[in-house]
Amino acid sequence: MLNNRKVRLMTRLAMYEQNEGKEDIRLSKYFRTDYVRLQVLKTIVALTAGYLLVLLILALYHSEYLIRDALILDYRAMIVRYAGIYVVLVAVYCSMAMVGYMIQYRASRKKLAKYFRMLRRLRSMYREEDGEEAAGEEENIGYDSDNT
Amino acid sequence: MIVTILELRARLMRFLQRFQIVVEPVVKFIVAFVVFRSINNAIGHETHLMSLPAELLLAFLGTFVPPVILVLLGALVALVHVYVASPLLAILVAVLMVVLYCFIARFSGKYGYVVLAVPVLFLLKIPYVVPLVLGLVATPMTIIPTACGVIVYRMFTVISTAVELEAALVWGQGNAANVAAEGGTTSMIDDILTLYIDVIDRLVADKQMIITIAVFSVIIIVMYLMRRLSIDYVFAISVAVGAIFCILGFLFAGILLDTDLDITSVVFGTIGSMLVALVFQFFRMALDYTAVERVQFEDDDYYYYVKAVPKINLTVPKRSVKKISTKAEPAFSRLREKEGARAITKEERYAMGEELGEENEE
Repeated sequence: MLNNRKVRLMTRLAMYEQNEGKEDIRLSKYFRTDYVRLQVLKTIVALTAGYLLVLLILALYHSEYLIRDALILDYRAMIVRYAGIYVVLVAVYCSMAMVGYMIQYRASRKKLAKYFRMLRRLRSMYREEDGEEAAGEEENIGYDSDNT
Repeated sequence: MIVTILELRARLMRFLQRFQIVVEPVVKFIVAFVVFRSINNAIGHETHLMSLPAELLLAFLGTFVPPVILVLLGALVALVHVYVASPLLAILVAVLMVVLYCFIARFSGKYGYVVLAVPVLFLLKIPYVVPLVLGLVATPMTIIPTACGVIVYRMFTVISTAVELEAALVWGQGNAANVAAEGGTTSMIDDILTLYIDVIDRLVADKQMIITIAVFSVIIIVMYLMRRLSIDYVFAISVAVGAIFCILGFLFAGILLDTDLDITSVVFGTIGSMLVALVFQFFRMALDYTAVERVQFEDDDYYYYVKAVPKINLTVPKRSVKKISTKAEPAFSRLREKEGARAITKEERYAMGEELGEENEE
């Protein structure tokens, strides 16, 4: 016989697993520091690539000037300037990414905790089914967290 | 009147829920079709992609892929169009897209599709839907994908004017090459460089892009702050406030920065967008502010002031067909109606006909 409460619970679990849960479960394999560090690293890589491309665009833009004055350019000042901008950018992006991904991780953990609560409830349902058929205690199951 | 609309809403929602498996792909297909259609209309150069079968095929593809892939597909189609018109500009666009992704777009998270929605809605003349709806449902973080979308749209506007310019250049150059065959290559490089510099200049100096991003960001933030207030009809009010900010923002920015902004199209676009946002909100949730409940209570740690606004959940009366005939009703049709209500007794089962009768015999 179908157990309506179980079906409802399992449906909700499956819905979570297939949508937003996918990300949360993937995320749960990391420790918080590891996750944040990885994301910051990714941010730095992307930022570097983007910055190099911007430099390329800029170089092409000024190519006429660059070629004309190739011999008298102050390369050191130029490198210092663009490296400086890069460092500032990296610092800003890293700090923002750190905070952002930390918040994301925490939120995902919260959702995951709810998911595990539901899993535990499901397990207890199975146990009850396996054991004695007394189901009087689980009356409220499935109704108490209808806040989706 | 209101009851009828609410009933209609309930009916529609029930219909959508029931046929979700069909409705969802159909909606996705239409969305994908509109996306490719408007891209083709705006910057169509590759004629194969612009044919109806190709559009339908792309839309079909877009139906079954996640939104991120649809965004990528849209970008690819746009790139192909630009490439056909001018390979150089296509490279530039591709590089700019990568830069955009590296710097901001990768932080858009689950709202990545907004990047595609903004340009498409711009082409449909109601781009203001994006901030108005995002202000209702999302956090200010969605400023990131919205800004990206605006940048993408303005980039393609600039590029398409540049494409026309380049066509003129190449044509002029073809003539020049006939006259002086020797200096052909250098002058071509010069032309390309001029075009490139021109495009970059225009992109960087694009006031309208900056204005649009600023106004959209303000709308999203203001609506986000508004809708958290505990006042009646807060969602409708925040949509209205967002719309006012939109019109005034564009008006003032247009005057201050002296751009050639068509204010009538902004006004009408905003009104249209407002209506869309209101309809969206109506289907998202309808709240009954006439039945607000206020309660106050305390526990060990806090004292609570709770305001609870009930959602309107109209139960649509099921249409039941009542047969009126002079003939005596057959027993089982009468029974069918009761089927759900109670268990069927043994005698009734016999009356219901042969199938059940047989079962019973077994």
